[in-house]
Amino acid sequence: MSGEEEENAAELKLGEDFVKAKCLMNGEVSLILDRRLEQLQQLSEDPLNQMPQVFEKSLQYVKRFSRYNNPDAVRQVREILSRHQLAEFELVVLGNLCPETVEEAIAMVPSLKDKGRGLDDEAIEKMLTDLALIKSSSSSGHLLKKLGFGLASL
Amino acid sequence: MFFHIILERNMQLHPRHFGSRLRDKLVSKLIKEVEGTCSGRHGFVVAIMGIEHVGKGLIRDGTGFVTFPVKYKCVVFRPFKGEILEAVVTMVNKMGFFAETGPVQVFVSNHLIPDDMEFQSGDTPNYITSDGSVKIQKDSEVRLKIIGTRVDATEIFCIGTIKDDFLGVISDPGAAA
Repeated sequence: MSGEEEENAAELKLGEDFVKAKCLMNGEVSLILDRRLEQLQQLSEDPLNQMPQVFEKSLQYVKRFSRYNNPDAVRQVREILSRHQLAEFELVVLGNLCPETVEEAIAMVPSLKDKGRGLDDEAIEKMLTDLALIKSSSSSGHLLKKLGFGLASL
Repeated sequence: MFFHIILERNMQLHPRHFGSRLRDKLVSKLIKEVEGTCSGRHGFVVAIMGIEHVGKGLIRDGTGFVTFPVKYKCVVFRPFKGEILEAVVTMVNKMGFFAETGPVQVFVSNHLIPDDMEFQSGDTPNYITSDGSVKIQKDSEVRLKIIGTRVDATEIFCIGTIKDDFLGVISDPGAAA
Protein backbone atom coordinates (compact mmCIF):
# COMPACT_ATOMS: atom_id res chain seq x y z
CA MET A 1 0.00 0.00 0.00
CA SER A 2 2.90 2.36 0.65
CA GLY A 3 3.59 2.74 -3.06
CA GLU A 4 0.04 3.82 -3.68
CA GLU A 5 0.13 6.75 -1.31
CA GLU A 6 2.59 8.47 -3.60
CA GLU A 7 0.32 8.19 -6.59
CA ASN A 8 -1.66 11.25 -7.49
CA ALA A 9 -3.21 11.84 -10.88
CA ALA A 10 -3.52 15.55 -10.23
CA GLU A 11 0.26 15.77 -10.13
CA LEU A 12 0.72 13.21 -12.91
CA LYS A 13 2.34 10.77 -10.49
CA LEU A 14 1.18 7.48 -11.95
CA GLY A 15 3.80 5.07 -10.72
CA GLU A 16 6.49 3.54 -12.88
CA ASP A 17 4.20 0.94 -14.45
CA PHE A 18 2.00 3.58 -16.05
CA VAL A 19 4.17 6.58 -16.61
CA LYS A 20 5.15 5.30 -20.05
CA ALA A 21 1.87 3.58 -20.83
CA LYS A 22 -0.40 4.74 -23.59
CA CYS A 23 -3.63 6.21 -22.24
CA LEU A 24 -6.84 5.52 -24.11
CA MET A 25 -9.90 7.73 -24.53
CA ASN A 26 -13.32 6.21 -24.05
CA GLY A 27 -13.96 6.54 -27.80
CA GLU A 28 -10.78 4.63 -28.62
CA VAL A 29 -11.57 1.87 -26.12
CA SER A 30 -15.03 1.61 -27.64
CA LEU A 31 -13.53 0.85 -31.06
CA ILE A 32 -11.10 -1.68 -29.60
CA LEU A 33 -13.75 -3.52 -27.63
CA ASP A 34 -16.11 -3.59 -30.62
CA ARG A 35 -13.46 -5.31 -32.67
CA ARG A 36 -12.82 -7.78 -29.85
CA LEU A 37 -16.52 -8.52 -29.56
CA GLU A 38 -16.62 -9.31 -33.29
CA GLN A 39 -13.70 -11.69 -32.83
CA LEU A 40 -15.43 -13.38 -29.91
CA GLN A 41 -18.63 -13.75 -31.89
CA GLN A 42 -16.82 -15.31 -34.81
CA LEU A 43 -14.99 -17.81 -32.64
CA SER A 44 -17.84 -19.21 -30.62
CA GLU A 45 -21.54 -19.91 -31.08
CA ASP A 46 -22.48 -18.47 -27.72
CA PRO A 47 -20.53 -15.24 -27.27
CA LEU A 48 -22.93 -13.47 -24.95
CA ASN A 49 -22.61 -16.09 -22.27
CA GLN A 50 -18.87 -16.18 -22.39
CA MET A 51 -18.20 -12.46 -22.10
CA PRO A 52 -16.63 -11.82 -18.73
CA GLN A 53 -18.39 -9.23 -16.63
CA VAL A 54 -15.40 -6.89 -16.68
CA PHE A 55 -15.52 -6.78 -20.48
CA GLU A 56 -19.24 -6.20 -20.60
CA LYS A 57 -19.21 -3.45 -17.99
CA SER A 58 -16.30 -1.73 -19.70
CA LEU A 59 -18.02 -1.91 -23.08
CA GLN A 60 -21.26 -0.46 -21.73
CA TYR A 61 -19.34 2.28 -19.96
CA VAL A 62 -17.33 3.46 -22.95
CA LYS A 63 -20.35 3.34 -25.22
CA ARG A 64 -22.27 5.50 -22.81
CA PHE A 65 -19.54 8.01 -22.09
CA SER A 66 -17.85 8.37 -25.42
CA ARG A 67 -18.59 11.85 -26.67
CA TYR A 68 -17.65 11.27 -30.27
CA ASN A 69 -19.69 9.14 -32.58
CA ASN A 70 -17.22 7.96 -35.16
CA PRO A 71 -13.61 6.78 -35.43
CA ASP A 72 -12.54 9.80 -37.47
CA ALA A 73 -13.68 12.21 -34.79
CA VAL A 74 -11.84 10.23 -32.13
CA ARG A 75 -8.68 10.32 -34.21
CA GLN A 76 -9.01 14.04 -34.83
CA VAL A 77 -9.36 14.71 -31.13
CA ARG A 78 -6.14 12.91 -30.37
CA GLU A 79 -4.37 14.64 -33.21
CA ILE A 80 -5.50 18.11 -32.17
CA LEU A 81 -4.64 17.62 -28.54
CA SER A 82 -1.24 16.20 -29.43
CA ARG A 83 -0.26 19.51 -31.00
CA HIS A 84 -0.06 21.13 -27.58
CA GLN A 85 2.52 19.91 -25.10
CA LEU A 86 0.34 17.65 -23.03
CA ALA A 87 1.13 14.47 -21.15
CA GLU A 88 -0.78 11.37 -22.33
CA PHE A 89 -2.87 11.33 -19.17
CA GLU A 90 -3.86 15.00 -19.51
CA LEU A 91 -4.74 14.53 -23.16
CA VAL A 92 -7.13 11.71 -22.40
CA VAL A 93 -8.82 13.42 -19.46
CA LEU A 94 -9.49 16.48 -21.64
CA GLY A 95 -10.69 14.33 -24.51
CA ASN A 96 -13.03 12.38 -22.23
CA LEU A 97 -14.51 15.23 -20.23
CA CYS A 98 -14.57 17.99 -22.90
CA PRO A 99 -14.40 20.99 -20.56
CA GLU A 100 -16.00 24.10 -21.98
CA THR A 101 -14.11 26.83 -20.19
CA VAL A 102 -10.49 27.34 -19.25
CA GLU A 103 -11.48 27.32 -15.58
CA GLU A 104 -13.13 23.94 -15.96
CA ALA A 105 -10.15 22.53 -17.84
CA ILE A 106 -7.80 23.58 -15.07
CA ALA A 107 -10.11 22.03 -12.45
CA MET A 108 -10.14 18.75 -14.40
CA VAL A 109 -6.40 18.71 -15.08
CA PRO A 110 -4.67 20.74 -12.35
CA SER A 111 -1.24 19.86 -13.70
CA LEU A 112 -1.90 22.18 -16.68
CA LYS A 113 -1.07 25.07 -14.44
CA ASP A 114 2.23 23.72 -13.15
CA LYS A 115 4.99 26.29 -13.13
CA GLY A 116 7.24 26.27 -16.13
CA ARG A 117 4.70 24.61 -18.44
CA GLY A 118 4.35 27.65 -20.60
CA LEU A 119 0.67 26.91 -21.16
CA ASP A 120 -1.19 30.17 -20.72
CA ASP A 121 -4.95 30.63 -20.68
CA GLU A 122 -5.01 31.56 -24.37
CA ALA A 123 -3.40 28.31 -25.41
CA ILE A 124 -5.85 26.34 -23.28
CA GLU A 125 -8.75 28.31 -24.73
CA LYS A 126 -7.63 27.51 -28.27
CA MET A 127 -7.40 23.81 -27.36
CA LEU A 128 -10.95 23.80 -26.04
CA THR A 129 -12.35 25.65 -29.04
CA ASP A 130 -10.75 23.14 -31.40
CA LEU A 131 -12.19 20.30 -29.34
CA ALA A 132 -15.66 21.81 -29.38
CA LEU A 133 -15.52 22.13 -33.17
CA ILE A 134 -15.01 18.40 -33.58
CA LYS A 135 -17.77 17.58 -31.15
CA SER A 136 -20.32 19.73 -32.88
CA SER A 137 -19.84 18.48 -36.40
CA SER A 138 -19.09 15.05 -37.76
CA SER A 139 -16.13 14.80 -40.09
CA SER A 140 -16.91 16.90 -43.12
CA GLY A 141 -14.53 18.31 -45.67
CA HIS A 142 -14.73 21.96 -44.75
CA LEU A 143 -14.22 21.25 -41.09
CA LEU A 144 -11.04 19.31 -41.74
CA LYS A 145 -9.61 22.09 -43.87
CA LYS A 146 -10.46 24.62 -41.20
CA LEU A 147 -8.48 22.71 -38.60
CA GLY A 148 -5.49 22.47 -40.86
CA PHE A 149 -5.87 18.89 -42.03
CA GLY A 150 -4.99 18.10 -45.60
CA LEU A 151 -6.62 15.07 -47.19
CA ALA A 152 -3.22 13.44 -47.42
CA SER A 153 -2.87 13.33 -43.66
CA LEU A 154 -5.94 11.12 -43.15
CA MET B 1 -8.59 5.47 -16.89
CA PHE B 2 -8.01 2.93 -19.62
CA PHE B 3 -4.40 2.17 -20.50
CA HIS B 4 -2.70 0.09 -23.13
CA ILE B 5 0.24 -1.70 -21.54
CA ILE B 6 2.49 -4.70 -21.99
CA LEU B 7 2.36 -7.28 -19.24
CA GLU B 8 4.26 -10.48 -18.69
CA ARG B 9 3.11 -13.84 -17.44
CA ASN B 10 4.51 -17.33 -17.13
CA MET B 11 2.21 -19.78 -18.86
CA GLN B 12 2.35 -23.48 -18.18
CA LEU B 13 1.44 -25.86 -20.95
CA HIS B 14 0.79 -29.60 -20.86
CA PRO B 15 2.77 -31.61 -23.44
CA ARG B 16 -0.38 -32.78 -25.20
CA HIS B 17 -0.62 -29.31 -26.75
CA PHE B 18 2.85 -29.35 -28.26
CA GLY B 19 2.50 -29.32 -31.97
CA SER B 20 1.65 -27.02 -34.79
CA ARG B 21 -1.02 -25.19 -32.77
CA LEU B 22 1.14 -24.56 -29.71
CA ARG B 23 1.04 -20.79 -30.06
CA ASP B 24 -2.71 -20.65 -30.58
CA LYS B 25 -3.18 -22.78 -27.50
CA LEU B 26 -0.94 -20.44 -25.49
CA VAL B 27 -2.97 -17.44 -26.62
CA SER B 28 -6.33 -18.95 -25.83
CA LYS B 29 -5.11 -20.14 -22.44
CA LEU B 30 -3.73 -16.68 -21.72
CA ILE B 31 -7.03 -15.07 -22.60
CA LYS B 32 -8.97 -17.49 -20.45
CA GLU B 33 -6.69 -17.04 -17.46
CA VAL B 34 -6.14 -13.31 -17.57
CA GLU B 35 -9.04 -11.47 -19.20
CA GLY B 36 -11.44 -10.16 -16.62
CA THR B 37 -9.01 -10.48 -13.70
CA CYS B 38 -7.83 -7.66 -11.53
CA SER B 39 -4.56 -6.93 -9.82
CA GLY B 40 -3.82 -4.09 -7.45
CA ARG B 41 -0.86 -3.03 -9.50
CA HIS B 42 -2.31 -2.96 -12.99
CA GLY B 43 -6.03 -2.75 -12.42
CA PHE B 44 -8.63 -4.72 -14.34
CA VAL B 45 -7.51 -6.48 -17.51
CA VAL B 46 -10.34 -5.69 -19.89
CA ALA B 47 -9.11 -7.19 -23.14
CA ILE B 48 -5.98 -8.80 -24.46
CA MET B 49 -4.86 -7.26 -27.72
CA GLY B 50 -2.13 -9.63 -28.84
CA ILE B 51 1.10 -11.33 -28.02
CA GLU B 52 4.24 -9.26 -28.05
CA HIS B 53 6.78 -12.01 -27.49
CA VAL B 54 6.94 -15.64 -26.36
CA GLY B 55 10.16 -16.65 -24.68
CA LYS B 56 11.88 -20.02 -24.73
CA GLY B 57 9.99 -22.72 -22.90
CA LEU B 58 11.53 -24.25 -19.81
CA ILE B 59 10.70 -27.85 -18.98
CA ARG B 60 9.81 -28.26 -15.32
CA ASP B 61 11.65 -30.94 -13.38
CA GLY B 62 9.60 -33.97 -12.54
CA THR B 63 6.65 -33.20 -14.80
CA GLY B 64 6.40 -32.76 -18.53
CA PHE B 65 4.92 -29.29 -18.24
CA VAL B 66 6.74 -26.46 -19.94
CA THR B 67 6.74 -22.87 -18.70
CA PHE B 68 6.73 -20.11 -21.32
CA PRO B 69 7.31 -16.49 -20.36
CA VAL B 70 4.77 -14.55 -22.45
CA LYS B 71 4.70 -10.79 -23.03
CA TYR B 72 1.29 -9.58 -24.14
CA LYS B 73 -0.43 -6.30 -24.96
CA CYS B 74 -3.67 -5.52 -23.20
CA VAL B 75 -6.17 -2.84 -22.29
CA VAL B 76 -6.46 -2.32 -18.55
CA PHE B 77 -8.62 -0.07 -16.42
CA ARG B 78 -6.83 1.42 -13.44
CA PRO B 79 -8.32 4.20 -11.33
CA PHE B 80 -5.95 6.73 -9.79
CA LYS B 81 -6.29 8.94 -6.77
CA GLY B 82 -6.91 12.49 -7.95
CA GLU B 83 -8.41 11.36 -11.25
CA ILE B 84 -11.67 12.93 -12.39
CA LEU B 85 -14.04 10.81 -14.38
CA GLU B 86 -17.68 10.15 -15.17
CA ALA B 87 -19.75 7.40 -13.59
CA VAL B 88 -23.26 5.97 -13.45
CA VAL B 89 -25.07 5.91 -10.11
CA THR B 90 -26.12 2.40 -9.15
CA MET B 91 -27.44 2.77 -5.62
CA VAL B 92 -28.39 5.61 -3.30
CA ASN B 93 -28.77 5.43 0.46
CA LYS B 94 -28.48 7.75 3.41
CA MET B 95 -24.74 7.09 3.78
CA GLY B 96 -24.06 8.26 0.26
CA PHE B 97 -24.24 6.70 -3.17
CA PHE B 98 -22.49 4.02 -5.19
CA ALA B 99 -21.47 4.61 -8.78
CA GLU B 100 -19.80 2.51 -11.42
CA THR B 101 -17.09 3.60 -13.75
CA GLY B 102 -16.32 0.73 -16.06
CA PRO B 103 -15.57 -2.36 -13.97
CA VAL B 104 -14.80 -0.34 -10.83
CA GLN B 105 -17.20 0.70 -8.11
CA VAL B 106 -16.88 4.09 -6.43
CA PHE B 107 -18.53 5.13 -3.20
CA VAL B 108 -19.29 8.79 -2.51
CA SER B 109 -20.07 9.40 1.12
CA ASN B 110 -22.74 11.91 2.08
CA HIS B 111 -19.98 14.00 3.70
CA LEU B 112 -18.54 14.51 0.23
CA ILE B 113 -21.81 15.48 -1.38
CA PRO B 114 -22.46 19.25 -1.41
CA ASP B 115 -24.20 20.47 1.74
CA ASP B 116 -27.14 21.88 -0.16
CA MET B 117 -28.19 18.39 -1.25
CA GLU B 118 -30.35 16.30 1.05
CA PHE B 119 -31.23 12.64 1.10
CA GLN B 120 -34.80 11.67 0.31
CA SER B 121 -35.87 8.10 0.94
CA GLY B 122 -38.75 6.41 -0.84
CA ASP B 123 -39.26 4.28 -3.91
CA THR B 124 -36.39 6.03 -5.67
CA PRO B 125 -34.03 7.20 -2.95
CA ASN B 126 -32.17 10.27 -4.12
CA TYR B 127 -30.18 13.33 -3.16
CA ILE B 128 -31.81 16.58 -4.16
CA THR B 129 -31.16 20.29 -3.75
CA SER B 130 -33.68 22.34 -1.79
CA ASP B 131 -35.04 23.95 -4.96
CA GLY B 132 -35.29 20.59 -6.71
CA SER B 133 -33.06 21.66 -9.59
CA VAL B 134 -30.37 19.00 -9.15
CA LYS B 135 -31.13 15.38 -8.34
CA ILE B 136 -28.94 12.32 -7.95
CA GLN B 137 -30.70 8.98 -8.25
CA LYS B 138 -30.11 5.53 -9.72
CA ASP B 139 -28.91 5.80 -13.31
CA SER B 140 -27.91 9.46 -13.04
CA GLU B 141 -24.60 10.29 -14.66
CA VAL B 142 -22.18 12.09 -12.39
CA ARG B 143 -18.68 13.46 -12.69
CA LEU B 144 -16.63 12.63 -9.61
CA LYS B 145 -13.09 12.78 -8.35
CA ILE B 146 -11.41 9.73 -6.90
CA ILE B 147 -9.84 10.53 -3.58
CA GLY B 148 -8.74 7.07 -2.51
CA THR B 149 -8.41 3.54 -3.79
CA ARG B 150 -8.44 0.32 -1.86
CA VAL B 151 -7.04 -2.80 -3.34
CA ASP B 152 -7.62 -6.35 -2.26
CA ALA B 153 -6.65 -9.52 -4.06
CA THR B 154 -9.18 -9.42 -6.83
CA GLU B 155 -10.85 -6.06 -6.76
CA ILE B 156 -10.22 -2.36 -6.66
CA PHE B 157 -12.66 -0.21 -4.79
CA CYS B 158 -12.66 3.58 -4.76
CA ILE B 159 -13.88 6.47 -2.67
CA GLY B 160 -14.89 9.62 -4.44
CA THR B 161 -16.17 13.13 -3.96
CA ILE B 162 -18.47 15.47 -5.85
CA LYS B 163 -17.88 18.40 -3.58
CA ASP B 164 -15.30 20.23 -5.71
CA ASP B 165 -15.92 22.70 -8.54
CA PHE B 166 -17.28 21.32 -11.80
CA LEU B 167 -18.19 17.98 -10.22
CA GLY B 168 -21.66 16.54 -9.81
CA VAL B 169 -24.59 15.53 -11.95
CA ILE B 170 -24.15 15.53 -15.71
CA SER B 171 -27.52 14.19 -16.66
CA ASP B 172 -30.77 12.99 -15.20
CA PRO B 173 -32.18 9.65 -16.29
CA GLY B 174 -35.51 11.34 -16.76
CA ALA B 175 -34.22 14.02 -19.09
CA ALA B 176 -33.79 13.49 -22.82
CA ALA B 177 -30.25 12.45 -23.83
